[in-house]
Amino acid sequence: MTSHTGRLYTLALALLVFFLAWAAFAARPWSRTANGASVKALAAREQRLHRQSLAVQRIVTRRWAVYRAQLRHRRALNAAAPAPAPAPSVRVVTLPPLTITRTS
Amino acid sequence: MERRWFSAMGTTIELFVDAEGAEASLDAAEGEFHRLEAILSRFRESSELSRLNREGSADPSFDLRRVLELALGGRASTAGRFDPTVHDALVAAGYDRSFEQVPADGSATAGGAACGGDVRLDERVELGPGVRVDLGGIGKGYAAECAAMLLAAAGPCLVNAGGDLALRGGSWPTGVETPEGTLTLELTGGGLATSGIDRRRWRRGGREIHHVVDPATGEPAETDLLRITVAAGDLVEAEIWATALLVAGAEEAAAEADRHGLPSVLVTKDDRTILAGGLA
Repeated sequence: MTSHTGRLYTLALALLVFFLAWAAFAARPWSRTANGASVKALAAREQRLHRQSLAVQRIVTRRWAVYRAQLRHRRALNAAAPAPAPAPSVRVVTLPPLTITRTS
Repeated sequence: MERRWFSAMGTTIELFVDAEGAEASLDAAEGEFHRLEAILSRFRESSELSRLNREGSADPSFDLRRVLELALGGRASTAGRFDPTVHDALVAAGYDRSFEQVPADGSATAGGAACGGDVRLDERVELGPGVRVDLGGIGKGYAAECAAMLLAAAGPCLVNAGGDLALRGGSWPTGVETPEGTLTLELTGGGLATSGIDRRRWRRGGREIHHVVDPATGEPAETDLLRITVAAGDLVEAEIWATALLVAGAEEAAAEADRHGLPSVLVTKDDRTILAGGLA
């Protein structure tokens, strides 16, 4: 009887040890250093992208300002001297009209 | 020669193209009128122009911006006789809806409304306080020019937008009504517009009213001209000058037409016909 109970305790203890070992193995404590490295790499990449986006934003702002200045200049030129379309060729003829112009 | 008629912008549009099998170009030209009417009509609540008039500012589409630029250029070159800010003056005179729906008779109107309002056109368009814009005639001229450009892909063409003509290539005998009968002008390009007080008339308080506003008074123009036909490099320019010269009156109109080299036929209220701008 005593020996049977002892075997049961031994079996339970063995199972406990087995599952604890399994849990410890599944946690992969040896891979902690690799995760840390990838997080650092991601953070560095994020900072690099942030710096690049600021640089692009500065370029776009500068180009937009130049474009607006040129647009203002072009509009001022247009307003000052609108380009006249070439004078049409018109003459009085004795032909019957194809169509009629009238007050619209 | 292929022809097509349809209604748009409150009038009848007539397309002529000297080509065979031009259905696709005719479709494109007709579609262009409907597209631009949806943008430029002051009678459509949903149009871009109506939104601009309601809200006082807008981020304009290419077409609205272009027509506003042309209209403001016209105001500058005609010393304000052509003005896109006559909207409230037209409404005050009773022209507050599509012309077919304007009652032929009615009680007296409230009188004129100020014109010459501020329109700032930069990245956005901003109207001054209380300023509203009407692009009726010039919008139609612009649409006719755009349609003619599309139609010209098929061959020499003429677009007749309710009596105002845009032409591309070919030779087009066009009738002008005068007291002596129909005078025929031969045109090979550009635009021909007629502005007058002989049509689009109605009565308010027993007084005859017409649709051509003098921006100096904000009321229908007092002019000794019945109508004037002007040829120019394109229909938009012809529209602008036809309106401005009608407002100016016969003597000044003839002098200005000569000065600017704008072939013109003037018909006065006392049934005289004057040819000006090099036309003989």
